[in-house]
Order: sequence, then structure tokens, then C-alpha cells
Amino acid sequence: MSVRARSAILSLLLLAVFLAAWHLATLPRAESGASVDPEYAKLMGLDKPKSDGMPTPAQLAGTAWKQLSDPFYDAGSNDKGIGIQLAYSLGRVGLGFGLAALVAIPLGFLIGLSPLAYGALNPFIQVLKPISPLAWMPLALYTIKDSTISSIFVIFICSIWPMLINTAHGVASVRRDWLNVAKTLEAGTVRTAFQVILPAAAPTILTGMRISMGIAWLVIVAAEMLVGNLGVGYFVWNEWNNLSLSNVIFAIGVIGVVGMLLDLAFGALQRAVTYVE
Amino acid sequence: MSAAFLQVRGLTRRWSPGAKPVFENVSFALERGEFVCIIGHSGCGKTTILNILAGLDEASGGEVIMDGREVSGPSLDRGVVFQGHALMPWLTVRRNIGFAVKSRWPDWNREKVGAHCQKYIDLVRLTGNEDKKPSALSGGMKQRVGIARAFAIQPKMLLLDEPFGALDALTRGAIQDELTSICAETHQTVFMITHDVDEAILLADKILLMTNGPQARIAEIVVNTLPRVRSRHDIHHHPHYYRLRNHLVDFLVHRSKLLQEGREDEAANERLPRVVMPGLADHEIVPGEAAERVPALKQVK
Amino acid sequence: MSLFRNPFDGETNLTCACGRHSTQAEHDVDAEKLSRQALENAVMRSLFPKDAERRRFIRSVGAGTASAAIASLFPFGALEAMAQDKGKVEKKDLKVGFIPITCATPLIMSAPLGFYEKQGLNVSLVKTAGWALIRDKTMNKEYDASHLLAPMPLAISLGVGSGAMPMQVATIQNSNGQAITLAMKHKDKRDPKQWKGFKFAVPFEFSMHNFLLRYYVAEHGLDPDKDIQIRVVPPPEMVANLRAGNLDGYLGPDPFNQRAVYDQVGFIHLLTKDLWDGHPCCSFGVRSEWVKEHPNTFAALYRAILNAAAMAANPANRSTIANAIAPANYLNQPVPVLEQVLTGKYADGLGNVKNVPNRIEFDPVPWNALGVWILSQMKRWGYLKGDVKYRDIVDQVYLMTDAKKRMKEEGILAPADMPKKIVVMGKSFDASKPDAYVNSFAIRRT
Ligand SMILES: Nc1ncnc2c1ncn2[C@@H]1O[C@H](COP(=O)(O)OP(=O)(O)OP(=O)(O)O)[C@@H](O)[C@H]1O
Ligand SMILES: [Mg+2]
Ligand SMILES: [Zn+2]
Ligand SMILES: [Zn+2]
Repeated sequence: MSVRARSAILSLLLLAVFLAAWHLATLPRAESGASVDPEYAKLMGLDKPKSDGMPTPAQLAGTAWKQLSDPFYDAGSNDKGIGIQLAYSLGRVGLGFGLAALVAIPLGFLIGLSPLAYGALNPFIQVLKPISPLAWMPLALYTIKDSTISSIFVIFICSIWPMLINTAHGVASVRRDWLNVAKTLEAGTVRTAFQVILPAAAPTILTGMRISMGIAWLVIVAAEMLVGNLGVGYFVWNEWNNLSLSNVIFAIGVIGVVGMLLDLAFGALQRAVTYVE
Repeated sequence: MSAAFLQVRGLTRRWSPGAKPVFENVSFALERGEFVCIIGHSGCGKTTILNILAGLDEASGGEVIMDGREVSGPSLDRGVVFQGHALMPWLTVRRNIGFAVKSRWPDWNREKVGAHCQKYIDLVRLTGNEDKKPSALSGGMKQRVGIARAFAIQPKMLLLDEPFGALDALTRGAIQDELTSICAETHQTVFMITHDVDEAILLADKILLMTNGPQARIAEIVVNTLPRVRSRHDIHHHPHYYRLRNHLVDFLVHRSKLLQEGREDEAANERLPRVVMPGLADHEIVPGEAAERVPALKQVK
Repeated sequence: MSLFRNPFDGETNLTCACGRHSTQAEHDVDAEKLSRQALENAVMRSLFPKDAERRRFIRSVGAGTASAAIASLFPFGALEAMAQDKGKVEKKDLKVGFIPITCATPLIMSAPLGFYEKQGLNVSLVKTAGWALIRDKTMNKEYDASHLLAPMPLAISLGVGSGAMPMQVATIQNSNGQAITLAMKHKDKRDPKQWKGFKFAVPFEFSMHNFLLRYYVAEHGLDPDKDIQIRVVPPPEMVANLRAGNLDGYLGPDPFNQRAVYDQVGFIHLLTKDLWDGHPCCSFGVRSEWVKEHPNTFAALYRAILNAAAMAANPANRSTIANAIAPANYLNQPVPVLEQVLTGKYADGLGNVKNVPNRIEFDPVPWNALGVWILSQMKRWGYLKGDVKYRDIVDQVYLMTDAKKRMKEEGILAPADMPKKIVVMGKSFDASKPDAYVNSFAIRRT
């Protein structure tokens, strides 16, 4: 048997062991309240089985099925399907990330091309870069005075640094030869920027974008839990209100899968612009 | 007689003010259609001179005049083949050349650019490899793309920096032949850096010999005394061949160092290169003659 | 949801929304009257507790001036708007923020039960994660109106804990309805004297919860700043923290007290009703500026809430309301938990079924002396430093200055504003002597 097949079997085995352990650990305990007053038991919800705490694998599967079979339901401004919630989160990430790219890539270009700009901006970048994105939230709320724009701003501010630094680095390390070729061909600034520097630095820039997207996706969930109205972070928070762990775990899974898909997408983009020297 | 096509006068380059110059007082001239090679040890400043000619670097002193105008900044008039091939790895062969063609003739449409590219791809015998990326090409093929790119813009002058450095002997010979024939066809003016004495003898009309750096200079301008039409196969049968070759090798092995240290007698007090014609008039030397005033080819045949 | 019928749906043959009238039309007439009466009564009563004084005031300044004075004192324009008999609403689509707790019942139920719609409003209720956030969103004009803790408009108007901005309290959402919940492991420690070192949670610093918890433990000889720890924890996180052992107990809003019982992690030590029967908790707040700009909208909103509160006041409706506000869109809680909170028939977590019909009440009386009580507690616990001008501050929030100035001109004594007697743990509060009240406590930060 090939190593691949064997490792696949081992993976499945590990999964089975994990599910079995989970199932056993979450089996409903038999209530010892035989002597409890029936009226009290009814008020406590003990008269019928109720999920308390950790769901069993089967309960989780049921929750997932229920959510996924109707992902776009709309039961009011605070209760929408997971698909709609994801769309809100992705929209915010897309906006914040897109704006960050619009700022970071040209600015990174400038910094990468000009040692002067690099010297002037570097101290600011070094100070601003390590700030935890969510630390911006109160300030953003206070100054921007709009929670949606504030979360977009937080995404913006957290995704700008990796893109800025990578763009600057990518641009600064474009091989002199290629620039010299462009110069001897009298290619204009714009043409050089778009047809030589950009493709040359593209793999590095995309690495930065990939890192940024990863961070943005982490941050949006936290930001929505803090302020969000709608979005996966809000979904987690809303189900947490109801102490509904199976919905929370389901949402965690969805967040993970979407994060992975975003990363794969950027990985594919990265591969598309990578060249072999 | 009119001034030479390219005149280089008193060129000096130091990397920082006050430092010893890499080379100083470098002067020479190229006639239109002339093929000049420059030979010198590694680090003496050949690439730097070429970069200054290309307009990519600025001299600390002296001047370069091409076609009556001072060179300042790069221009499409001078096509450069870089020491590393400097192809853009994300572009196919066709588009690498196309980038240059589009720079030269921005108004051309896609078909015209394509046809022009194809002509030069065929010229360097890369037909069938148009859509390959540089990473899929051998070293020799890449070098040929570089040459095609430089030729395709039809410059007034070609600057080649060790174009065959990385090639095996066979490929090198083949491309050398191509280069000779292309130059013969197009009457290109060429300035080429090489480390290969045989290559210089085969291709050059004049060979500039540089002393070691720092403070390198052009010690001699050796006129190729072999017939203009040469072939790799019979060149060594010519009576002047070994004289010429020995002169060059001797320079590289012994004299380049002595000259740098200023120990060779005749060189001690002269800053202008001597013009040497090995095999003619038994190493007849024209001392103190300004290089640009030497009528280069007339004395050969 | 089949359990729940829209009271304004002509197809269903209901008696009326509140159940006290034979037809819906009759109810509507009454509700209109009720809202106008509630307004006028509340304002006039707070201004002139004595009938003779009121008549003297109206006679001396004239009816027009009196109405203007009242308009300046009570939510701007609301009276005029009502007098104009439902002027056209300036803004139809409203955003109203709420925290998912039962205090917000009138505000929430107005959506599923159609009270907003009935007033020509299209209200979108926005669930919000915490009090600081709802405050910021209200101040940032993201919300047209919001569910706020009763002390928050005072704190915001004073700029304590946030930037200052004039706020207006439209109605009190609810009275009572909070409880002290303790972790199961403390079921034998019912005497607060045994609570030294306990970690407690309250939902917000400027909350009745904080002031009542402090009051309660201090009455039992514990210094709330030294003998116990009080943390701010968002209500939804209280149960989880109690389960995890991070908290020993909390004075929190329902349904999270009942939820702790339902999930068997805690028991209800006492209802806040037992500390102060009729204490307000949450309010329905708007920015003063917004009321000025949207007097008709405000009046419509106000009528909707009054109608809802009238329906909620009837115990017979509580079960219906529990079903209406339980879905994920609103409180996102099990119906049985909400029913226990709203009906007052509940399991206490220690094996007893209790029956306390006034566990939570919905009494939309605008508060006044309460403002002074809250300020007295803010002063007591050091949130306000130095000499607190109780009157000036409360007057500012209540916009009483204008009316008082006129009354002074007319030689009328300033009214005492005490519609309800305040008795906290058996001790009466005299709103005219707040400093004496503060100084009467042994444990205080002054
Ligand atoms: N940008 C630079 N800054 C400082 N020194 C430089 C720079 N570029 C080249 N040099 C130095 O100048 C000298 C000449 O370099 P150059 O590249 O012209 O040599 P070369 O003759 O072309 O050598 P090779 O035959 O190895 O290509 C070398 O000593 C090199 O170290
Ligand atoms: Mg070189
Ligand atoms: Zn009624
Ligand atoms: Zn409340």
C-alpha cells in the first residue's frame, strides 16, 4: 500500500477515534431527579431532553444540516442564514482589504522605489505595525462614529501593513537588470511600473496580500463579535447569548473553511504570478 | 575628415568622491560600422564603461559623444545585451522581444509587432520557441533572445557585455557566426566586452586593452591585422594570427599588471593609448597619437 | 409562530391587544387617550404635586405659556405633535438598538406585535453587543432611539465615562425584573456577610445593577470596593462565567438569572424587587437633538411603546409576549425561561417554585426623583466628585429650567418631583435632601 493510502487510512482512524471520544464524552447524563416536584422539573425544562453544554457529534451534524440546508433564510434584522452572515463578513473584509490594497500597493511602490520615502515613512510603519487591530476599534468608533465603517477601518488597518511592507520589499528587490532593460528601451515611468516592476514584484506582493487576507479574516470575526450587526462574528455572538454551543461550533467550522478557501484562492493567485528565474 | 561616430574622451569613474577612480582618462573612438572589443581583467571596469556608454551610469569625468551629440541617459539608439541575459522571466520569448519592439514603435499594432518579433526570432534561430518562458530555455537560447531583443529595435549601436560568457564552445561558435553575419548584413556598430582572446580576434576590428584596476586605463588599441572576413575554421592559418594572439595574451598575463603599477618603461609617462598593429611593420607603434585620429582600418589591408 | 397572533390582523377575531377592551377600535381610542394622559399626568404631576398649585400656575402664566413650559420640560414637541393629532412622521424607517434582555420587552414586542407598524413606523431593531457600544452607537447617530440603562442618559449628559451629549429619557422600559444570582456551590451562603472575597458581575458601571448591588452588600456591612470584587460583564457572558467559576454571582438582568437556573449553574438569591419594589431599570432614550428634528416621529414611537407597555402590563398577555420575543431575531432564548421571567412563576434553582407576579413590571412613568437617587449613589460611590448640584443636573436632563424660571417669576415654589415614594431596603429617600441621604450611610466614598 502506498504511503498516501496508509496515511489517509490513519487520518480516517484518528477522526473516528476523535468522534467516538466526543460522542462518549457528551452522552446525556441520567438525571437523578426522580424525587423532584414535577412542576419544578417542568420549569427547569427537565421534563423533556434538553441539550446542555457540549453537543454530541450527531447534534452538531443536525445543526450543520439545518443551517446549511437553508443558508439564506431571513427571519428579521437580527436573524439571518449563515450564507447571508458570511456575505456580510466577506463584504466587510473585501471592502477593508480592497481599500488597504489600494493604499498599500501604490505607497509600497513609492517606498520601494525611493530610499527617501522609505526613510521618512519607516518609523511610522514600525510603530503602527505591531498595534493589535482590535485596539483601533474604540478610537475608530469614537472618531468615525459608525460601527460598520469602523469595522471596515479595522480590517483596513490590519491588512495594510503586510501588503505595504511586502510591496516595498518586492519593489526594492526588483533586479537592476530588468530596470536597466526598461531604461535602455526608454520605457516610460508608467510602463515600467506596470510592465516591469509590478510583475517582477507580484509574487512578493501577493505573499503580503495572502498574509493580510488571513489576518483580515481573523480580525473580522472578532470585530463583529465586538460591534457587528450581522456577519459570522455576530452569528457566533448571538448563539453564544443563547449558550447554543452546537451553533457556535458550527460557526467555528464555517469560519475555518472559509478562511481556508480564501487562503487557497490567494495561493492560486500567487502561483499564477510566480515566475521561475 | 569628419569626427568618429562614437567618441570617448577622458572618461573617469570613481564610486565616491576622493576615492581612487576605477579607471581614469579612458579615451577611444568607434567609426560607423566598426566592431570593437574590450579586454581586461575582471573588475577593471569594463561593464562600468559599457554602462556609461549605454547611459545607465554617469561618468565622474570625461564625455561620450555619439553621432555628434553628448550621451546623457539611455536611449533606443543604443541596444544593450546585458552580462546576465536580463530577460523578464514572466514573459515569453515573443513578448520579451515584443516589449522592446513596442518601446521602439509604440504606434505599431499587434500584428506588426508580432511579425517584427518573428523576424528576429528567426534570425537568432529560435523559431518554434516563441511561446516559451526564459526558464524553459537553455543558457545559449536565452542569450540569443537577449541578442534578438537588442537587434530588434534596430539601434545605431550595439553594446554587448560578455554575451557568450556562459556558453559552451559549440553554441558559442554558432552564435558568434550568427553575430558576424548579422553585423555584416546590417553594418552594425558594435562595442563588445569579452574575456576570450580568440573571440576578440574573430569578431573585432579593434581591440581595446585595459590595465588592471583601480586607476585602470586603456593601454593599447590593437588593430586586428587579419582580413575583415574571417572564419573560425581557418583564422589560425593566417600568418598574423599568432602574433596578434601572443600580443594579447602577453598583455593579459604580464603587462596589464605592470602597466597598472606604472613599471613598464614606455608607459610610464604616457596617458594616451598606443596603437598597435601586430604583424604589420613588426609591432609598429604609433606613440602619443590620439586614438580617435588613428585611421583604424586603412592600415590593415 | 402559531402561538402568537398579530393583534392588528383583521382576520383574527381577537378582543384587543391588551385584553381589557371588547374591540380593537375601542382599545385604540383608549390607547391614544392613555398615551396623552400618561404624558400630561406624568409631567404635570411631577411639576405640581398639588392641584391648587397647578391651577395657580396655569392661571398666572396663561395656558399657552404653560403648554410651552411643559413642552420645554417634556420631550420636545411630543405634546404639540400629539395635540396636532398624529402629524406626518418625518422619518419612517427607524433604527432602534437594544440589548437582548427582558427589560427591552416593550421595545422589542412592538415589532412582532405590530405596534410600530400601527403608528406608521418601519422600525428595524438592531441587537447590540453591550452597553458601551449601544451608548456609542446612539451618540454616533447610528440609532434613532435606543434601549439604555436608566442611569446612562444622566451619565452621558454629564459626560461621565463618555463624551457629553444631551440625552432625553422618553420612557422607563420596565421596573423590577433583575435578580442576584449565585453559583450553585454557594447555596448555603445566603447571608451576605459570608460573601467576603466574592467576585460579582454587573452589566455596566452606570447601571441600577451596580448601585443596587453596592447598596445591598453595604447594608450588610460589606464594603463593595474592598470586601468583594465587582466586574463589568456583558449579560450574555454572565452565565458562562458563572459556570466556569470566574464569578461567584451577579446582579444581572433577566433572562440571564433564570437562564442560570435553567442551565443548573446557579440559583436566584433574591429579586431586586425585594430591595426596592418598583425600581426602574432600563429606559428608552433618544438624543435631544433628534427629538427636536423629528417631533412627530418621536410622538409616534412614544405611542407605540406606551401601547406595548399597556399590553405588557396585563399579566394575562405575558405568555404571548414571551413567545413573541423569544426567537433568534430578538432575545434568542428558550420560551420557558422567558415565561418564568415574565409571569413570575419560576423555579429558583434550589428546588422551589416561586410565584411573584410583579417580578417584572412595565410602567412607563418618566422618572424624576429617581435621577436624584441615581446621582446620590454616583456621589456615594465616588463616580461624582465634590459638590454635586443634584437639582441642576437633573433639571438639565429633564429640561426643567425653563418652567422653573417662569414659576419663580410668578412667585410659585419649585415643585417637588416625586411621583412615587422611593424606599430602598426599608429606608426612605427624600429627593430634596440628597446630601443628607448620602451622608447617612456608613459605607461610602465621600
Ligand atoms: N555600484 C557600484 N558601487 C561601487 N563599486 C562598484 C559598483 N559597481 C561596480 N563596482 C566596482 O567597480 C569595479 C569595476 O566593476 P565592473 O563591473 O565594471 O568590472 P568588469 O570589468 O565588468 O568585471 P567583470 O569582467 O568581472 O565583469 C569593481 O571593482 C567593482 O567592484
Ligand atoms: Mg562586467
Ligand atoms: Zn385593549
Ligand atoms: Zn434593565
